[in-house]
Amino acid sequence: MTLEIKRVTSGYIKEVPVLRDVDLTARAGALTAIIGPNGAGKSTLLKTIYGYLHPSAGDILHHGKSITGLKPDQMLGEGIAHLIQGHSVFPAMTVQENLELGGWVIKHDQKVLNAALAEVFDHYPLLREKRKMVAGALSGGEQRMLEIARLTMTRPRTILIDEPSVGLMPMLVDTVYEEIVKLKKQGFTILIVDQKVHKALDVADYIYVLRLGQNSHRGPREKFAGGIEEIIKEWI
Amino acid sequence: MELSIFIQLLVLGLVRGSMYALMGVGLSLIFGIMEIVNFAHGELFMIGCYLMYFVAAMLGLPFPVGIVASGMGLLIVGIILERGLISTLRQKAGRDWLMDSFVLTIGLMVIFQNLALITFGAIQRGIPNLVSGQMTIRGVVFIYDHLVILGVALMTVGVLWYFIKSTSLGKAIRATSQHSEAAQTLGIDTGKMYAIAFGIGAALAGIAGALLITLFPANPNAGMGPVLKSFVVVILGGLGNVKGAVAAGILVGLLEAFAMFFLAGGWQNVIVTSIVVAVLVFKPAGLFAPAGERP
Repeated sequence: MTLEIKRVTSGYIKEVPVLRDVDLTARAGALTAIIGPNGAGKSTLLKTIYGYLHPSAGDILHHGKSITGLKPDQMLGEGIAHLIQGHSVFPAMTVQENLELGGWVIKHDQKVLNAALAEVFDHYPLLREKRKMVAGALSGGEQRMLEIARLTMTRPRTILIDEPSVGLMPMLVDTVYEEIVKLKKQGFTILIVDQKVHKALDVADYIYVLRLGQNSHRGPREKFAGGIEEIIKEWI
Repeated sequence: MELSIFIQLLVLGLVRGSMYALMGVGLSLIFGIMEIVNFAHGELFMIGCYLMYFVAAMLGLPFPVGIVASGMGLLIVGIILERGLISTLRQKAGRDWLMDSFVLTIGLMVIFQNLALITFGAIQRGIPNLVSGQMTIRGVVFIYDHLVILGVALMTVGVLWYFIKSTSLGKAIRATSQHSEAAQTLGIDTGKMYAIAFGIGAALAGIAGALLITLFPANPNAGMGPVLKSFVVVILGGLGNVKGAVAAGILVGLLEAFAMFFLAGGWQNVIVTSIVVAVLVFKPAGLFAPAGERP
């Protein structure tokens, strides 16, 4: 079991918890999707896992080790990467500088860093070609690719992905999901939140449905094959 | 115009400009990464003046020691201010903290000025020169002090440039200024980057204060003139644009030197201020803003 969220209660103000007693397990090497209507607490859950918010109750374990209370900048060191919502390249820096910063936590070992860079370039030949370009000059889809590639520099075990299709042209959404599937094939454990329910369902191995800050449904994708429309109707 | 006069004005302009650049770069660096307008920047300059006076005049140590002491001293002061006050404010004040940061730095300005007044009194404490003497080459006078100021300023900007462009810490600072949330997810301690950047900005003001002690003797209000000039530089160069601040600083220095020669005294301010107004109206991102680029 890679990432385990155990009866977590969390929110922005202590008196008003957004999440109540949420349980979730992201299985190693699998793609787990969290879906739910607006305000269900999906993004709050990601923020809580990554240390932007601290749970008032419950525990979060990564490979058996509690990561509750750690700060966001400590997470990558624990092997958890986070693709945040919206564009997140450093626009005035080159593609290569962006990737090198992805290796910030391994920067003390130049050899390891160079090897990581070479490996990422092997996976993303386009980025090698454009490594001297400033990231801001890349197309929207290329920037997303760079953001994803940048997260793999340190070979984290788990990648959290928040709304990967927000702000992208419909055509690019497919490309981004192809990249995410590739990540899964490379063996990363992935936890994804997306408003585009059907897109997430297509690629997910395991699905959690949140509603009003609590667990509502869960199960492998097959279980949802026919029933997802019913669940969505419930939201409305 | 005779060539010798032209070159003389060029030299004077460069000396002035290098100082404006040093002050402007510090202010711009701080704004670029933290979005704080540091109204107390002139008081950091003032503390640099006093440190220089203390080391060079009172302890009688060689002036380069004074410059290094001012730089290091202000680096520490800057880091303490950021860690102690600004980051606390950022964490406590929430979304409106930027407005609060204005009030904070204005408050710091008043406090530092009055602390200096109580401690040192309203006396000017200057040093007649760093290196006495001058030389004349083909009718152009080179005052040794001016050459020291120009040389140290250019070296400082050069070192800063290398640091920001090529070291991994410098890159992390730039990354934080371009996308702090993304920098944080990559394991960069953004709070630390803010403190370092603020410290460096303060150190640049301190070095400027130390260098200019022969022209601006240490006194509680020593920073008020330079800070106004650095705001001019930052507006012309583009807020947060470090490269632009260097160029704008030198431009303002040259403009002033030539205006003071050809026009009656005081017109240099009119010209520079008019340009500021024009830039704010027609090119609010600054004269040297490449599309979409920040430091």
